[in-house]
Amino acid sequence: MENLIIEATKSSPSISLNAETRILTISGESYPENAAKFYASVVDWLHNFLLQSIPEQVTMNITLHYFNSSSSKVLMDIFEILDNAHAKGTPVTVNWRYHEENDTAIECGEEFKEEIERINFHMVEFSDEEI
Amino acid sequence: MYDMKDAYTFYQNMKADGIIFSFTGPTSQSVAESIGELLRRKMELEETKMSVSLKVFSIFVEQMQNVLNYSAETDPPKVNGTNELHYGMVTVGKKDGHFYIISGNYISKQDTERFQSILDRLIAMGKDELKSFYLEQRRKEPEKSSKGAGLGLIETARKASHLDYSIVEADNDRDFITINAVI
Repeated sequence: MENLIIEATKSSPSISLNAETRILTISGESYPENAAKFYASVVDWLHNFLLQSIPEQVTMNITLHYFNSSSSKVLMDIFEILDNAHAKGTPVTVNWRYHEENDTAIECGEEFKEEIERINFHMVEFSDEEI
Repeated sequence: MYDMKDAYTFYQNMKADGIIFSFTGPTSQSVAESIGELLRRKMELEETKMSVSLKVFSIFVEQMQNVLNYSAETDPPKVNGTNELHYGMVTVGKKDGHFYIISGNYISKQDTERFQSILDRLIAMGKDELKSFYLEQRRKEPEKSSKGAGLGLIETARKASHLDYSIVEADNDRDFITINAVI
């Protein structure tokens, strides 16, 4: 299966979905004009990947400095897909990476964590020195 | 014709109100990105706390995208296309130590009641209620008439310490809505 790589723009994150390493990375800013449209290829890729793939560990690393409300909606949809996969036997870990001073990212991460029942959702702090 | 002396008065009045920038006209995603970037730089230079500057940026983006998605003033006039320009205004300022974001645009009269009822509800809610409402709406499928998830206004209400709005009658088909969010 082909990997999905999308370069970052001012208002959309860089995306790397790797079928071999089973590591999915989303990082940057996310406030595209149409979030559902922007993330459609990510959602499609995930569906196909989970359909074809073996039930081994999948890791998603998310580092979003800022995301708008419609991106938040799509992220929730993505977590739901992963949560269902987890329930069906593919272990999923999400690392929600946030800057130590980014209260909004902390709060948003915690809200996702509360909402998602089954997958391992880790809050991972970083500081300026680690960028 | 436009009197040039008025321009200076206009500028001074805006400065007196603490306005950082005020945009009126056709909006676009790239306008939102460019102004947003300037706004961030300005706040960085002033050493605004990250938590505050992210709130300001967040409300700015939601309000700008609201105008972009819902303004009933379009060019060419709306024929259910997707390429029209949507007009409106967005102002960001700082007064008495607080940032504020004001947005204004025409809405179709059919939508007035919906805006009124949702905004009244949001203004009456406390932070915990806003949070539950946000999470509940995020789980729902978006409403048919909504291009975004309809979460933008809830997000604005959550980030603001004060929210108010006004709706004035414009013409037979449209009203003008103004939303004021103070951080």
